[in-house]
Amino acid sequence: MTILPNTAPTLLRDIDSINPVMPFLRQERIPHIWCPSCGIGTTVNCFTRALTESGMDLDQIAIVSGIGCTGRVAGYMNLDSFHTTHGRAIPFATGLKLANPKLKVVVYSGDGDLTAIGGNHFMHAARRNMDLMVVCVNNFTYGMTGGQVAPTTPLGAKQTTMPFGNFEAPLNLPFLADACGAVYVARWTVFHVRQLAKAMQEGLKKKGFVFIEALSPCPTLYSRRNKRGDGIDELKNYKQNSIVKHGAETKDVGLTFDGKIVVGKFVDRERPTWLDAMNDHFTQTLGSKYAPYGG
Amino acid sequence: MGQVSVKEGPMSDAIIDQRAGKGTVFVRTEICKGCSFCIDFCPTDCLTFSKEFNPKGYHFPILSAPEACTGCDLCGLYCPDFAIYGERWKDIDERKAKGQPLSVPATLPPPAQKSVSQHPVSADPKGVLTGIHFVDGNHAACEGAIAAGCRFIAGYPITPSTEIVERFASRIPMVGGVFIQMEDELASSIAVQGAAWGGKKVLSVTSGPGFSLMMEHIGLAVMTETPGVWVDVQRGGPSTGLPTLPAQSDMMQARWGSHGDNEIIALVPNSPQECFDLMIKAFNLAELYRCPIMFMMDEVVGHMVERVEIPTADKIQVVPRKFTTKSKQEYRAYATTADDLVPEMTKAGEGYRIHVTGLTHDERGYPSLNAATQDKLVKRLIGKIRSHAADLVDIQEDAMDDAEIVVVSYGITSRIAKSAVDDARQRGLKVGHLRLRIVWPFPAARIRELCQKAKVVIMPELNMGQMVMELERAVTSGTKVVSIPHAGGSVHEPEAILKKIIEAAS
Repeated sequence: MTILPNTAPTLLRDIDSINPVMPFLRQERIPHIWCPSCGIGTTVNCFTRALTESGMDLDQIAIVSGIGCTGRVAGYMNLDSFHTTHGRAIPFATGLKLANPKLKVVVYSGDGDLTAIGGNHFMHAARRNMDLMVVCVNNFTYGMTGGQVAPTTPLGAKQTTMPFGNFEAPLNLPFLADACGAVYVARWTVFHVRQLAKAMQEGLKKKGFVFIEALSPCPTLYSRRNKRGDGIDELKNYKQNSIVKHGAETKDVGLTFDGKIVVGKFVDRERPTWLDAMNDHFTQTLGSKYAPYGG
Repeated sequence: MGQVSVKEGPMSDAIIDQRAGKGTVFVRTEICKGCSFCIDFCPTDCLTFSKEFNPKGYHFPILSAPEACTGCDLCGLYCPDFAIYGERWKDIDERKAKGQPLSVPATLPPPAQKSVSQHPVSADPKGVLTGIHFVDGNHAACEGAIAAGCRFIAGYPITPSTEIVERFASRIPMVGGVFIQMEDELASSIAVQGAAWGGKKVLSVTSGPGFSLMMEHIGLAVMTETPGVWVDVQRGGPSTGLPTLPAQSDMMQARWGSHGDNEIIALVPNSPQECFDLMIKAFNLAELYRCPIMFMMDEVVGHMVERVEIPTADKIQVVPRKFTTKSKQEYRAYATTADDLVPEMTKAGEGYRIHVTGLTHDERGYPSLNAATQDKLVKRLIGKIRSHAADLVDIQEDAMDDAEIVVVSYGITSRIAKSAVDDARQRGLKVGHLRLRIVWPFPAARIRELCQKAKVVIMPELNMGQMVMELERAVTSGTKVVSIPHAGGSVHEPEAILKKIIEAAS
């Protein structure tokens, strides 16, 4: 081990060092717009660690977001990045992936964007086993527009458009992804940073439709309106109430307002991707007439 | 990656020669928002809040127990504001010893240069079905797209446009490309844009209600300057209307259907042969202007079977994409010059690390939500087409030399109009015919010029009077404008047009 020469006092700021997240960000755009103690930035840290660990060529990774708070992630990432329309990140990503199959295409968006307005696309991309990694930051609400009820809002939670408490049953996102055919389904919270980073790393390497749900606090709207404290209180809640249960039946992992949170890797299976299925099928049925498609 | 801003702002000034612990933390105090994630989840409890505030008014973390810090970087993993991270002294020293300035690899050199030239080249013969065919407009439009280099279509079935995607689905496996039937028109109209940014020439097809669903993404293509062709085989509306019968009632929707100020280009073929020919032109215009091109067919043109001649590939001129030749350092995705308002393009996977957004954006493509950027961007998006309005005139003139009455028409209606004009000429009436093949931007200046001597202009169209409003604005004040509306479901009777010509002449 080399010891720094002690000839002059060394200031911390003079050490040649860099926050490992920084090379992955468009640094001229930092600070970001997210509220204090919002968890989206934490998921970004996990994603960047996963990118580092994966050893993948960053020039071959594209990130696609929809609209909303999490929809801003694409704009902060120093990757080929696309900030599309509300709910349509998945079909955009589908076109991008099929046009250039060498790309690893990551969809990074929120629960409202992916599963309400974008629910149809989510379902069908999973059904087709489109080779996409979908990261859904689930904060149980529409943050950007001011805290309206989302398809993930737990029963009883107050939202601006459910002022007397939510009476609609929420979606269980891992169950939805599983039922539609996703080959990898995991849920973690922003308390579980290392596990979330590992899931993302596995997701980057996995071929097919990968779904990773990251529960995250919305301190400004969801937590405050429901008197659940600040972001840090939500993280402590995740710590206390999470149960790690790998391989859990996804139908059993639905979330409630103040109940237990089942986290873990629920699904990890193999299925041909849409593009592989197309190439195999046409090779079989059309033989030498088929012009194999590689991008 | 260049040097980063870790040294900007009030980093901790701590003198760290003491090296009390195995590692240390680095804090960019000015961007901390005081969430306390790092403090609460530090495994060795070595952080506390500062007593002082940062410029935003937050307390930030300080290393209060440096002897306990292991440099594990869990704080860095938690910090949602990218304001803190930890590092082991061992790693810092090793890096210094190796002479590696930073803990991350530098990015790759700029990619190989490509051509920015947009000189037309011959079509790829693989996609050109040279020969004489007897097909309908939908099939011909599909062949035009393939000949023009279209290798990706995302579609959703809707009458009367479906034959276009059906033909593409059966043809493209042998040519080399992808067809995918998406779950709805919203999906298909944006999947094609993903594919365009993946480097493909793309087309989306729809009719009636599907065209309404695609409007949002036509706006996205305008905003992000994504080249592509949108085919609308028009049917009667409103709503589900007449799925199997013709109309031309989406003409204004094509122009104004997407919210916000925008400018598009729209072509209108009137025969299967033109579905092929104009489709090539549509693809070329998409590349030249980087905007959505509307291809406004109708049910009759789509289903009318006629002779279509497809030339050899070398006779078909195709405009390549305007890929940038700039290095990664120089390239700004939405930068233009005063002479050329169309930015150079790239695609994902080339190392340019572009950002593309539907938000108002600056030359880098970064969101910039203010009036000045909006003004500059919207004026350019509109200006790049309006300033080329003269190049975008495509009018077929017939019997205009001495015309005192001019019938102006487009699409299927032009075929009926021609028959009425021929009939009127035989009766000795001084009537001419203008057929618009590009309707948007509306060729107002050229029409004014051509109709200078006209006393009356007549516009039959399969709607209740849409393009006639543009015509009224185009002609000089002394010229009378007569609309011949039709609610759709069939085409005009030639006699209806002839009657208006005779009335105008008397």
